[in-house]
Amino acid sequence: MSGTADGFDPPAVKIAARRRARLRHWDLVALVFTLITLGLAIVWAFPLYWALVTTFKPEYEVVRPGIQLWPEHFTLEAYIHVLTRTKIGFWYINSLITSVAVTVIVVIMAAGAGYAISQLSFPGRRLFWWMILASFMVPIQHGLVVNHFILMNQFHLINTLPGVVLPQLVAPVTVMIYKQFFDSVPKDFREAALVDGANEFQLLFRIYLPMNWGITTALAIITFIGAWNIFLWPFVAVNTEDKMNITVGITQVHDAFGVSYARDLAVAMLAALPVALVYLIFQRRVTQAIMLSAGIKG
Amino acid sequence: MNGSAAAAPHVELRRVTKRYGAVTAIADLSLTVEKGSFTALLGPSGCGKSTLLRMIAGLEDITAGQCFIDNADVTDMPPAQRRIAMVFQSYALYPHMTVRQNIAFSLSVAGQPKKVQDERALEVARILQLEPYLDRRPAALSGGQRQRVAIGRALVRKPEVFLFDEPLSNLDAKLRVQMRLELAKLHADLGTTMIYVTHDQTEAMTLADKIVALDHGIISQIGSPLELYNKPANKFVAAFIGSPGMNFFGVDIVTMNGRTASVVLPGGRTAEVGISTSTSAGPAELGVRPEHLAIVDPNDPHAAFAGAIAIIEHLGNSTILYVETPAGQLIVEGEGNLAAKSGQAVGLRLDEGHARLFGETGAAL
Repeated sequence: MSGTADGFDPPAVKIAARRRARLRHWDLVALVFTLITLGLAIVWAFPLYWALVTTFKPEYEVVRPGIQLWPEHFTLEAYIHVLTRTKIGFWYINSLITSVAVTVIVVIMAAGAGYAISQLSFPGRRLFWWMILASFMVPIQHGLVVNHFILMNQFHLINTLPGVVLPQLVAPVTVMIYKQFFDSVPKDFREAALVDGANEFQLLFRIYLPMNWGITTALAIITFIGAWNIFLWPFVAVNTEDKMNITVGITQVHDAFGVSYARDLAVAMLAALPVALVYLIFQRRVTQAIMLSAGIKG
Repeated sequence: MNGSAAAAPHVELRRVTKRYGAVTAIADLSLTVEKGSFTALLGPSGCGKSTLLRMIAGLEDITAGQCFIDNADVTDMPPAQRRIAMVFQSYALYPHMTVRQNIAFSLSVAGQPKKVQDERALEVARILQLEPYLDRRPAALSGGQRQRVAIGRALVRKPEVFLFDEPLSNLDAKLRVQMRLELAKLHADLGTTMIYVTHDQTEAMTLADKIVALDHGIISQIGSPLELYNKPANKFVAAFIGSPGMNFFGVDIVTMNGRTASVVLPGGRTAEVGISTSTSAGPAELGVRPEHLAIVDPNDPHAAFAGAIAIIEHLGNSTILYVETPAGQLIVEGEGNLAAKSGQAVGLRLDEGHARLFGETGAAL
């Protein structure tokens, strides 16, 4: 403000007063917005809270009419049942094996394919790239369930872990992200390494991948979360309990008396736990990964 | 460097051509680089000097012709097998590796034991005074240190030929001078053949024992720095080398008597200029370096031009004057303590022994 030093400048005072009024107005608007967001956050988080609270209730409390925000009798019965009477150990291990396998293979394959498309010149490179772009238009995980089933059946891989993993390895978005990132690596690095005697594998694994390490972690996390959460394909591909993933295993938690909500939700909570942990630990990377794939998908 | 090996050809390009689609970057070029020499490829941007270097390195395919290193045909050989090392303009230091790993990278990909890698990296770091920085990443180094790591990465391979692609252009002026000295010292110590691409004529003049001046993919002139400076083969070399640049103006050749030609200067006065080829009377262009023009009294009977000073630049060790004359604006380099004022009327005396005549094609006469 270019007022006088003593502050007795009527126009300046007027401006300051107007600004204060405007600020008060903004404060009010901000408050309203905050309240709205808070309301929405509660709407979003309430089901999670409800599910968590339910797991600590005895079954008769769960089915009692009315809304009970806190258990009257706190119990771990649902968890004890799930952990001792179901095959949750198998489901966990199956989920872990398939998710880790999908993550490792997808990342290595996508990095390799992205590198080849980005850096090598070979006949059919453009065609290959267009095919990957085109495959992006196909809803691979959902639209092709029948095709996957027939294919895996012909390979005699139905009801096996490889059968669960294989169809999940088609990941065009991951290839695209790698390609874009490898494209942006200055060509001097490649040439310097070539002069230094590096071959293409050394170039990929010692220069390009480490230089894009952040992308690899981001893609690995998002692939892992996707593979852990997948339901439809393992549900179709597996028909014995000992081969099921945790997501499919949830459907098996019932007994002769029908569905028990506390138990179902307890197993769901246990199923979500690793993903929640991964998210909490790698929060920033996950956000980055989601933005990356959204940027490409958008 | 030992005398007997100095004359042996080390890198040889035989009638090489490089085409990018319909564009010819280098046409039918032949070049020999002697063992142990420091050769500079000099030219403006787009003249093909980097392409030429990259062809020697094996980073660009040669469309036609052959490349020899140490008498072996390397035309179709991958870069790593050519026993060359290259320093890039951007340094291309791997950002995720420490200085030690950067220097030892070529040994590491060749499967050398860790102990050998560390020893060699240390040896090179000592030569380049990089020892305190061995465990740092490139991001934590200054420009000059990065430059040294890039040289170290080349040095560790014990190459037959060093290739430099404008290695100093990313440094500030002071550091550039310092690194220039270090490179000259390195060459003196190692005696390895070095080929150096630059658009900076000062770098080429100070470092190289041979300069290859390139213009649009064609060699304009090859020679020692002073040869190029004093006896430019054509107008391109004359204009490119020297700072401030050579003055050019049109003259008329009236008579020739053996090794000299009598020319009429703009403004009507005449001058006797040395020539090395016989030519016919007619229009030509005269090139005079700024230090070969001297400020004299406007009424001096020996003055070639009369004019007025337009701009004066005091550089301390010399004074650069821009003088308006009948030949256009001429640049004159005078002594540091020259007393002159802008707008002052002056005469310019021409050092005829150092003036060069160029024919219509641009070739020196």
